Amino acid sequence: GIEKIEAGGIVLCCLQTRTGVKFVITAEPSTPDLDLMLREIYVLYSDCALKDPFYELEMPIRTDLFTSAVDALLERFDSRGTKVR
Amino acid sequence: MSKSSASASGHALWAKMPKANAELFALTYGSLVTELVRDYDNADEVNSQLDRIGHSIGVRCVDEFLSKAEVSGINIPPCQTMKDTADVVARIGFRMFLGVSAEVANFSPDGSAFSLFLYDNPLSIFVELPSSEEAAATMGGAGGCDLSKIKYSNVFCGVIRGALEQVNLKVECRFVRDALRGDDVNEIRVELKEVLMDGAGEDYQEE
Repeated sequence: GIEKIEAGGIVLCCLQTRTGVKFVITAEPSTPDLDLMLREIYVLYSDCALKDPFYELEMPIRTDLFTSAVDALLERFDSRGTKVR
Repeated sequence: MSKSSASASGHALWAKMPKANAELFALTYGSLVTELVRDYDNADEVNSQLDRIGHSIGVRCVDEFLSKAEVSGINIPPCQTMKDTADVVARIGFRMFLGVSAEVANFSPDGSAFSLFLYDNPLSIFVELPSSEEAAATMGGAGGCDLSKIKYSNVFCGVIRGALEQVNLKVECRFVRDALRGDDVNEIRVELKEVLMDGAGEDYQEE
């Protein structure tokens, strides 16, 4: 499957899991550790979104816990000097 | 994967999981089963409900399993045969989520079926099922559920089925020996029915 696309001014990174879930992230070209971030997001997905009893698989994730956890993760990566959209 | 590295991986992942009180866990499950027994009149219905509940759990468990293994640097290579799958489920999966070690054996000649042996069952630490004579005596004219026929830990069968379904393996699981019914070990028979084609790519296929 698609792993990484680099185009003018943007880089798109994709993680495809063995269960068929795809995580896609877009960022500025110089961003390091995108695949690491995707793997962390996979962990957050399994911990926050999947464990929400009202979350149905394949539906958009509207769980606050997941959103705030992803925000916190991005802030942690940000504070290491990376820029992610 | 070699057996010892699989067990070591399972142990490492178990160490990272948040722990719950074992009694709370067993009693919560017990109250779930009791409610099902109250709601449904016959043991088969209770067993299939437990399997359905397990299926929902399994479908979610597998992503957690794969994501945490990857983040911990534990490489679980894609399974080439059911034997690999069996080892991963028993040595890493059961170890990670329940802290118990399971063994696999009794592979069918074509390798598509195996038995999973559970020596410790954390769900049933307080449970005693009546024998069939006792159950018949207490049922009497009440029309209640025949408790001796309940597969108390049937949720495990559902979990295995749901988890493997998410990685495109359609299996059937059933308890063949149950420690609660007097056998010396819990044995779950897992049989591969079908390897499902990945349906995710259908939208993107060229015409």
